[in-house]
Amino acid sequence: MVGRHLSRRSVTALLAAAPLLPAAGRAAPGLSFGLTPVFLDNDARLLALMRRYFERRTGSPVRLVKRRSYQEVTVLLLAGQLDAAWICGYPYVQHRDRLDLVVVPVWRGAPLYRSYIIVRRDHPASRLEELQGDIHAFSDPDSNSGYLATATLLIRHGRRPGTFFRHVFFTYGHRNVVRAVSRGLADSGSVDGYVFEVLAEREPDLVAGCRVLRRSVPFGFPPIAARADSRATGLLRSAFLDMEEDPVGRQILALLRLDRFAEAASSLYDTIAANARILALAS
Amino acid sequence: MIGTGVAPRNWPLAVKVPLVVAVLMAALGLLASWIVLASLASIQERNLRRLADVTLQTLAASLAAPVERRDIWETFDALDRLTALDGGMPVIAMVVLLPGGEVLAASDPERFPTLRPLGEPLLLSALRGGGMLFDTGAARAVATYRLEGGGEQLGTLLAELDIRALLAERRRAALALVVSNSFLTLVMAGVGYALMRRMLGPLSRLAAAAERLEKGEDPGVLLEAPHGSREFRKLFGRFRAMVRAVREREMILKRLVEEDRLAQLGRLASAMAHEVNNPLTGLLTVVDTLRRRGEDEGVRRHAVELLERGLLGIRNVVGAMLVAYKEDREAARLTRRAIDDLRYLVQHEVARKRLELVWDNRLPPSLPVDGGAVRQALLNLLLNACGASPVGGTVAFEAVAEDGICRFRIADQGGGIPAAMAAILERSGPPEAPPGRGLGLWTAATLWQRIGGKIEVERGEAGGTRILLVVPVEVGVEVA
Repeated sequence: MVGRHLSRRSVTALLAAAPLLPAAGRAAPGLSFGLTPVFLDNDARLLALMRRYFERRTGSPVRLVKRRSYQEVTVLLLAGQLDAAWICGYPYVQHRDRLDLVVVPVWRGAPLYRSYIIVRRDHPASRLEELQGDIHAFSDPDSNSGYLATATLLIRHGRRPGTFFRHVFFTYGHRNVVRAVSRGLADSGSVDGYVFEVLAEREPDLVAGCRVLRRSVPFGFPPIAARADSRATGLLRSAFLDMEEDPVGRQILALLRLDRFAEAASSLYDTIAANARILALAS
Repeated sequence: MIGTGVAPRNWPLAVKVPLVVAVLMAALGLLASWIVLASLASIQERNLRRLADVTLQTLAASLAAPVERRDIWETFDALDRLTALDGGMPVIAMVVLLPGGEVLAASDPERFPTLRPLGEPLLLSALRGGGMLFDTGAARAVATYRLEGGGEQLGTLLAELDIRALLAERRRAALALVVSNSFLTLVMAGVGYALMRRMLGPLSRLAAAAERLEKGEDPGVLLEAPHGSREFRKLFGRFRAMVRAVREREMILKRLVEEDRLAQLGRLASAMAHEVNNPLTGLLTVVDTLRRRGEDEGVRRHAVELLERGLLGIRNVVGAMLVAYKEDREAARLTRRAIDDLRYLVQHEVARKRLELVWDNRLPPSLPVDGGAVRQALLNLLLNACGASPVGGTVAFEAVAEDGICRFRIADQGGGIPAAMAAILERSGPPEAPPGRGLGLWTAATLWQRIGGKIEVERGEAGGTRILLVVPVEVGVEVA
């Protein structure tokens, strides 16, 4: 399962099958916006606010589409069934030739975040090497912070996740990684640092069972991306950029604990792209 | 009523019967309670088993795919969500085991670490046995369900269930049964006691009447037949008839004893007449001698001595008779003289059969014993011994007082007392009906028993009878 990241080949195969998938938006009028487990959880209020905000800003009906994995959302986006999606940096760098970078969230003053390696509160380890033999929980094979960052860190240390850990599994959600580690299902886990910090504010009991063993270098924050040929890119970009000026937009930002959305260059994700190459080579 | 005796067998029927009913009801209640509780436990277990089957079956359907993929997270998530549900099965923990015995995921990973062998004995027992296992001591049950896919076993789903609520329900039922059964038993015992007292009331009256009769008192109204019960009316009628019969028999007996005494008196009077008549002839001869030769000093003195001895002999006989038969026969004390006087009362029989009477009276002058009864009894036995002895035989009498006990021994050389007669003398307990023969012996035995004495009879091999009579002299001394 370790190598289940989203390769170009697999995406191509999935795209070939895309017309057979249930229609998610192509035929429907208005905008389709995809969400992935980058989001914290099923926050109904947040989704309602987003729909309300974007419908008002674009003047079209907006459909928010959620999928369990990054792979599913990326496939829908590349297949044209979504106008845009909030995806992770890892799938973005894999397909940036076919995707436009719409905006990037700004968190704590910068469009950056880190990957955390967390362990159970009573785990004796103080260094990465001491996690050897653990059962490790990853978030998603197509997640930078929830897989790629830790996998390449181990590769740089001459190790491989599949042999370094006793066993690894994917929870398909950063919150689920925290749950798995805190409940003892896994000894350690790889999680989005932004999600972890927001969870620490919103669900301190859940996070109380864990501690952060290692923080990664900064990476470009998971971006909002659109298909390169999408006509909605400009409309969406201005809506995201104006969010901090709008009362509903500010509520959305407050719920997401974000400062605002900003434009950014594709080079923001070069670190992730480098990691992706390392992993591809190692595979 | 319980005070009449401490031992249960002495308890009155009015207590015993309700008590037996109460014990039987308590036993019945226990048995019924046990059956009810066993049935309740069986129903509870059946219901829980059904609930577990349905729940696990439903869960198994959604678990088959993740378990087949060995998807730890999805398996855990499904188990965790079901365990957290309220209102369904009282789940403590759920575990999915792989066919190799390793835990794939559990709702409580701390207790059941992922990809480690299952370590809990109760769950392992349930796994070996299959189905459902109850451990009432630990208030837990374990249900198992085989996870299958494509005809092959993918793993086993185990659910550890909390059965404290079921056990508490059983305890409540047991308590309710104990309380209600105890209450019913007590009520039934109380009602039974009241009914039995009411039903046995006439018997208590009958017992009280018998008690009064025993004390020589008049039972009076106690013997009046109760209303209602035909059986008790009949019983009281028979009891009254029995009382009448006993009274009549007592009267007859008294009359018999009196007649015997009179007959004895007659015999003694005849003997006394003989004893008086014999010296009278001699005395008249002496008087004639005095009349003819009274002037002679020697003859007169000799005659006067003879007169005096003769008259003294008559006085002894008459005196003894007076002592024996004066009205106040209940002499408070026994004197040595009174015992010696018995010689005169049997003198006639001794003389008639030319017996040798060996007399050994070593009693002190006076003893605190019922003298009248002792004399009467000894006289009867002495006369009996004289009568039984052959002509020219010996009758021995011995009287001793020592260690607070008076002993008398009467021995004869007769043919030996018949066993039936000896039994009359040696009997203990209340007086029996007087026999057709041996009224004198019966009277002696009854008198001796009345004064608290005992009689032993020895029969020699070559004939002859020795009768040993003992009677306590001092209060508190028991006759061995």
